[in-house]
This record gives sequence, C-alpha cells and structure tokens, in this order.
Amino acid sequence: MTDSHADTNTDTANNTANKTDTGTGLRAFLRGRSELGVCALLLAIGVLVLTDALTMDTDFAQRGPVGPRTVPIVVGVALLVVAVLLAVDVLRGGKGEAEGGEDIDLAAPGDWRTVLLLAGVFLANAFLIDPLGFPISGALLFWGSAYALGSRAFHRDPLIAAVLSTVTFFVFDRLLAVPLPGGPLMEVL
Amino acid sequence: MRLSPRLRTPLALLSAALIVLLGPPLLSSGSGSATGTHIPGLRLMVPNTPGGGYDITARTAAKSAEDADLSRNIEVFNLPGAGGTVGLSRLVAERGNGKLAMSMGLGVVGAVHTNHAPSTLADTTPIARLTQEPDIVVVAKGSKYRNFDQLVADWRNKPGSLPVGGGSSPGGPDHLAPMLMAKAAGIAPKKVNYIPYDGGGELLASVLGGKVAFGVSGVGEYLDQIEAGELRVLAVTSDKRLPGLDAPTLKESGLDVSFTNWRGIVAPPGLTDAERDKLIDLVTKMHASKQWQEAVRRNRWTDAFMTGDEFGRFLTAQDKRVDTVLKELGL
Amino acid sequence: MDSLSSLLDGFGTALSPVNLLWAAVGVLLGTAIGVLPGIGPAMAVALLLPVTYGLDPTAAFIMFAGIYYGGMFGGSTTSILLNTPGETAAVVAAMEGHPMARSGRGAQALAAAAIGHFAGGMIGTCLLVFLAPTVADLAVDIGAPDYFAIMVLAFIAVTSVLGSSRIRGFASLLIGLTIGLVGLDQMTGQQRLTFGSLQLADGIDVVIVAVGLFAIGEALWVALHLRRRPDEPIPVGRPWLGKAELRRTWKPWLRGPAIGFPFGAIPAGGAEIPTFLSYVTEKRLSKHRDEFGKGAIEGVAGPESAASASAAGTLVSMLTLGLPTTAVAAVMLAAFQQYGIQPGPLLFEREPDLVWGLIASLFIAMVMLLVLNLPLAPVWAKLLRIPRPYLYAGILFFAAVGAYAVGGEPLDLVILLIIGLLGLLMRRYGLPVLPAVIGVILGPGAEQQLRRALQISDGSMSGLVDTPFSVTVYVVIALILCWPLAKRLVPGRVR
Repeated sequence: MTDSHADTNTDTANNTANKTDTGTGLRAFLRGRSELGVCALLLAIGVLVLTDALTMDTDFAQRGPVGPRTVPIVVGVALLVVAVLLAVDVLRGGKGEAEGGEDIDLAAPGDWRTVLLLAGVFLANAFLIDPLGFPISGALLFWGSAYALGSRAFHRDPLIAAVLSTVTFFVFDRLLAVPLPGGPLMEVL
Repeated sequence: MRLSPRLRTPLALLSAALIVLLGPPLLSSGSGSATGTHIPGLRLMVPNTPGGGYDITARTAAKSAEDADLSRNIEVFNLPGAGGTVGLSRLVAERGNGKLAMSMGLGVVGAVHTNHAPSTLADTTPIARLTQEPDIVVVAKGSKYRNFDQLVADWRNKPGSLPVGGGSSPGGPDHLAPMLMAKAAGIAPKKVNYIPYDGGGELLASVLGGKVAFGVSGVGEYLDQIEAGELRVLAVTSDKRLPGLDAPTLKESGLDVSFTNWRGIVAPPGLTDAERDKLIDLVTKMHASKQWQEAVRRNRWTDAFMTGDEFGRFLTAQDKRVDTVLKELGL
Repeated sequence: MDSLSSLLDGFGTALSPVNLLWAAVGVLLGTAIGVLPGIGPAMAVALLLPVTYGLDPTAAFIMFAGIYYGGMFGGSTTSILLNTPGETAAVVAAMEGHPMARSGRGAQALAAAAIGHFAGGMIGTCLLVFLAPTVADLAVDIGAPDYFAIMVLAFIAVTSVLGSSRIRGFASLLIGLTIGLVGLDQMTGQQRLTFGSLQLADGIDVVIVAVGLFAIGEALWVALHLRRRPDEPIPVGRPWLGKAELRRTWKPWLRGPAIGFPFGAIPAGGAEIPTFLSYVTEKRLSKHRDEFGKGAIEGVAGPESAASASAAGTLVSMLTLGLPTTAVAAVMLAAFQQYGIQPGPLLFEREPDLVWGLIASLFIAMVMLLVLNLPLAPVWAKLLRIPRPYLYAGILFFAAVGAYAVGGEPLDLVILLIIGLLGLLMRRYGLPVLPAVIGVILGPGAEQQLRRALQISDGSMSGLVDTPFSVTVYVVIALILCWPLAKRLVPGRVR
C-alpha cells in the first residue's frame, strides 16, 4: 500500500525534519499528502473555466439574468471552493479511499511503469492510425498493451493481435461500411 | 509439424506483419476501372450525424447513382462536428483528391461564420446544388394569430415577448430566416428573441404546445401536421407559393424577403479540370435518373439543380448574405 | 377496444412466415452489431438502413424493430462485460453490471439486463398500444420550465451517489460539469473551453467520457496495482438467476417502465435521465444499499428496464407526432420518409397495417430477443475467463475502436486517453466516477432548459414556475429536502 508506505516515511521524515532543516520537512509533509495535487488540479481547472468565461465575448443579445457566461462562472467558483474545502480536509488528515477491486492489489506499490507504457501505446495508436492504417496501429495497441500487462508469449501475442485487428477492420470497414483507414498497401494492391 | 522454439517467435512476427499489411487490401474487393461515369473508390462525406438532412441527401444520391448504373460502390460516411465545419476542414485538407465529395447546404455557410472556421466554402470546388426547401412560419391551431399581418404587427410592438423557435443553432437556416424577416419588418435583429431547438422535431413539440409564439422551420417535416389541422401556416419564405399549401409568400405579406434553404455537393480544392468535370458529369447524370427524380418526389424536396461555376457564384452570394446578417447580430 | 382489435390484425400481419423471418434477421443483426463497441442502436439502425431498401415497407419496419431492440440488448452486453458502453442508455448498466461481471456474476448481470429489457419493452409497448394518443397530447405540453424542474430533481438525486466523502463526490460532479461546458454554447453559439478547436465545438460526447472514465480509467488503475499472482481466471459462477436474485429483481423490473416510458415519450426526454433516476430509486429502495457500487443486481435490472421502456415511449411521439426524441427515432423517421411515409397524426389512419404490424412485431422481437439472449448470457460471461493481459488489452483495443469509429478523428483517442488518466487519478484519490458522468449528462441539458425557459418568458424569473407541472416538481423537491429535517423534529415512536 503506497499510502501506508508514504505515511511511515512521513512520520520518520517529520521526526528527522524537526531536528534538521525545514526544507526536507516540507517535502516530507507533502509526501503523505499527495492528494493536495488533486486540490491543485481542481484549482487550476477552476481558474481556467473562470478565465474562459470572463474573456468571453458577450456581444450577442442575451435575455434575462442567465447568459452564456453564467453557468461557467458558477461552475468555476464552485471548483475553487471545493478545491479549498478538499485541501482543508486533506490537511486535517482526511484521505480519499483508493478504489479496490478483484484484480487490484492495493498492498503492492504502484507500478507507474506499466501505466506509462499503456498510455504511451494508446497515444502511439492515436498518432499512427492515420499514417499506418487501423490494422497495424490496432495490432500494435493490443500487443503493446498485453506486453505492458505482463504477457510475454512472443510466439502467440503478435498473431492474436494481428488477427483481432484485421478481423475488426473487416467487420467495421467492409461489412458495416464504417470507414477505418486500411494501411499503406490499400491503393497499391 | 513441430517448429523449433527459436523459430516460432520470428515466424509469428512475420505472419502477423503479413496479415496486417496484406489482409486489408486483399479483403477489399477491387473497385474496378474508371469506365464511363464510374469513379472507382468515390467517397461521399456527410458532415452531420446519420438521419440528418445532409445524410439523407447524400445516401439518396449515392443510392440513385448506383441504381441507375452510373457508379458502383459510392461509400457514404459521416464526419459530424461543429455544424459541418469539421467535415469541411477535412475536405479542404484533402487537396487534389478527385475521389471525395461532401454533401452540404446553407447550414454549413452559417457555421463557417459562427465557428470562425479556418476553411471556408470558397476553398472548395463547387460541384452542384441539388435541392431546395423553403422555410415556413407556423403557429399551433389554437394560436391567436390568424394571419401573418397580425403576427408582424405584434412582433414590431414587442419583439422581446414573442419568442421565435427555430430548428437550427445560431447561424443556421432557421435562425437566418426570422432575422431577415425582422430586418425587413423594421425590427432590429438583435431584439429578436430567437430560441434554438435541436432540429425541427423538437421545435414541433414547442409549437404544438404553444411554448413559442411562432416557429420557423423547413416545410418538409411539418406537412402532415398541417394537413391534420394541428398547425397553421402563416407564410412561406420562398419566392413563389408552394403547391398544395394555402399560405402567402412573405412578399405578398409586405416583407421584401425571400429565403430558401438548399443542399448541394462540393469537392476538395485543387482538382484538375478533368476530375472536376467527371464529378459534375456524374452528378448531372444522377440528377437526370428516374431513381433520383422519384426520390425527390417521395421526400417532397424541390429540385434546384445548378452546377459548377454557376453554383460557385451562388455560394459566394449566399456567403455574403449570411455574413451581413450575422455581423449585425454580433456573431 | 379499438386498438386491441387493430393490434390483433397487426399480429396477423407480423406473424406471417416471411415477416417472422425478417423479425428474426433483424433481431440477430441488431444483437450482433449492438455488441460491437462504439455502436449503439442509432448507429446500428443507420448502418442497416440500406439493407432494407429492397423490402416492402412493412417487412422493412418489422426488421427495424428487431434491429432497434436487438441493438439495445447487445449494447448492454459490452457495457456489463467490458465496461465500454456503446451509447448513453447503457452507461448506467456498467455501474453495477461490470462489478458483478468481475466477481463472477456476469451471467446473472446479463440475465437481469435481458429480462429487464424484456419487461421494460413489453410494458412500454403495451402502454404504447393503449395510451399513445393521450400520452402524445400530454407530451407537447411539457416545456422548458418543466424540464428544468426535472433536472433540478435529478441534481438532488445525485447527492445520493456522491459516495462516502461528500466533498470528493462534489469535486467529481464539478469535473463532469466542466467537461459538459466544453463546446459551443447552445443558445448563442459562443465558444466555451474549446481553445479554438473545431473538433471540440460539439462538446465531448458522453459515451467518450463514460468509456474513458470507466474502461480506460479502470484498465490503467488495474495496471497500476495489478495483482501479481498465478493467473486465475474470473470465476464464471452459476449460469442462472437464483431465487434470492429473482426476489431482488422483480420489483425493479416492474418499476423501470414507470420511470422510463414517460421520459421516452416527452420531446427532450431520452434514456439517460430515466436510467439514472431508476438507478437512484433502486439504490434508495434496496435492502442491500451497501452493495451498490460493488455489484448490486437491482442497479442493473431497474435501469435496463427503464431504458427499454423509454425506447417504447420514444415510438409514441415518433409515430403519433412525427417527432424524433432520440437519435434512433431520427434515423427511423428518415427511414419512414424513404418510403414516402410521413409519421404524424394521420399515420394511424393512413397506414394502419404498417403501424399495427410494426407494433405487433415489437412484441415478437422482444420474445425472440429474450429467447436468444438468456441462453447466451453464460456464454458471453465466459468471455471474461481469458487471461488478464489479453482482457485488459482487449478492453483498451475495443474502447479505441469504438471512439474512433464514431467520428474518424484521432483527436477523440487523445481525449479518451486524457479522460482515462483522469479516471485513474480519481480512483487513486477516492473520487467516485459516477457523479462526473452524471454531471456531463445533466449539466448541458439543465443549462439549456433553464435558459430556454427564461428566454420564453423574456428574462423574467417567473418563467421557471409558470406551469403546474414545474410547481408540482418543486413541491416534491421541497418535501424530499425537508424530510430528514422533519424526521429529526418529530421524535420516533420508539423513543
């Protein structure tokens, strides 16, 4: 459990921090409260929404008290308020309960490498789908994800990915006429 | 047959590569050669969702061309977004692609302005205008307005308290029509209390329920309600009266405006003359086919065929008109 | 009993061998396509429209009925098994259905959904037969102030799904509302949070948000904390609903239509709000409230029944008024027009054979779908036995296919990933995801109806309460809000 790790670290770090300097003390203080990042995010979104609303050009005829800016302003202000309230809650020791599940082992340390790999593979798919076509980018997405999640069957995974991707292409593009890019050889052959 | 484990991985990779590279082209049947009017691999983009006006026009046109043996396998696909300007941007980006066309209409002209879209219709190659449809001014049967003059008189007095319902977002046809009417009636367009609905269907409920003072929308969706006596038509926006509809034109009612919504087809920029002529030829022959004529009758459209440069000049004129109205509204 | 005898004639039409065949074909195609990710009933009907061009109108519409309902049955399958809803009506099904599937009760979840669709569809279609003209008259009287009142009620209902920490629930709701703001302002066409991008002008689709938060978010979250242990497939469990489950589900099945049908019939109703309201209702009424969020079967049964009944309600306004209230209805309307038939007040007089044949075939399609889907439920549920890496890779793959197939825009995939990362963050810090999805659904609708009501009244606030219906709803809201207070003031009899 990352949180409990972080907590014990914080405690020991706090103890040492009291004796030494405040710089590491602050860092250690923050480490157990990474949830403050969520507050920062909410705050940032709130500022963004408010800026967007206030810079909006409201030349257009508006009737009544509610115009195109009203709702964004309400949402933006509410975001700021919730960000502050959440920060207070976190500083008082409140903690969001991480979601459990069948496949989830909260006792294990967070495996950010896998998450980054998955996100990277997904992003690559978004950028490759137009130049390389869906069958290739889709196969890479499936194989890459399976690899990131720990599958190492090199003699099997690429084949599964290729067949799945090509069959999906066939069903969508050919049978249903939902166009998917076919790949570089579409025009050649 | 047993392979050595060392060979299995490269072999799997190789076959996977072969499948994804060769599979798609081999699965797709060849579209044949370019004989006669046939354009192999022609795709028709619909910049709206399935079921919308451009969608029905495009699918009907493609179907008619196929049935009349003018072309095989015209692929119709939807690329909706931002009133059609997402599709327009894609079309303009496909410079020189003679195998792509887009179904569009007056709504796209307005959306280009309201969305400040980077690509405009001036960037496209105009192919043809196909159909047109006038808007009508309707009220529910229980409304106190018996004729258009009563309505305009009240509207002039207190434009704010006469909410006008339309089936399109600001900049769309049903928005432009009442604005042009207001201008001609001496009402500042900014004073008009226009309420956009999500299409003519949603608007219909509001008109029937008397939520808006009057509605402005395309005539097609409302004919049945008119015939059943649930709706009263106060005016049509076209130049001439519509056959079978007992309603005066705006001009007869003393407003010097005429307005029709229309739909047509444009192609990407940078086509060679031959490519352009081939598309125009296909659409012209499609238009002449009995399948298309039958579809026009069935859908109660009005034929408004016009091609090439003539359509191009029409587009420019429409663009100017829309621009003037929207500038006055500050959109 | 005029409509009853017409309906019997309709069965005469629909039960002819050829029409039965078309109904069966429609049901099979609809289920098959509905199961595909990213393709809901609207898309399914639109895609199969050309297939029916060669048929006579009656046969075509009988087939459509099968496709429509089949698409709905199939749509909840992917929602429950893979957490990837293909359309808004199936979003709520994922909330309880997916956790059930993960804990080896997939077959039960699918069966509860199938029977829910059946019950909702049957009851809804009966209401369609007997109430169509009355409901249609009432439907047009519902206006913007009434919608806004209902939305306020729905917002109050959100508070019961905020989770254990209210402040985190609110944060999630606000994130949803913010996502809902993206796009052109519906009333004036002003750009809001689009950053000049045309692709964002229509806003971010609820389905993209739901798939991002549910499917991608969960896949990433699982990846972060994947249980490293010998691969042990998800247990399949019993294939059928047990007695205890039936006792828990029969009431939700019957309650669903009461919520779903009226919403379907009104012009801007749709299926999102009724499915959500049904979910909240079942949560309130359930004896197993603590199971909600972890796989409570009532949370599948009620909303699915409401979804199907809302689909039947949609047909009321489509057939009698020619008024398409959902995307599917719009496509069906287009199909009617292809045959030169204009749905509207005169349709029942002009084309009685067609209409009653269509309605009769709705009943037949329902029965066929139940017969087809109940035995399939355990088969589908076995899909989850595949090894974890493949399962999650498959979820990512199909989520990507679904998102891309709708618009053909790679940007949608990037948005999907960003929302997925947001979903990961929310899971990590205990922000519940459901309020965010509800925010995306309710926010834009509530704003639009509020502003429309104010515009109709030319800016006067009285425009919000000038109908009996809206006043009634506000009174109900006041009662709900005051209830806990009153309970505290009046000491219980026990004390």
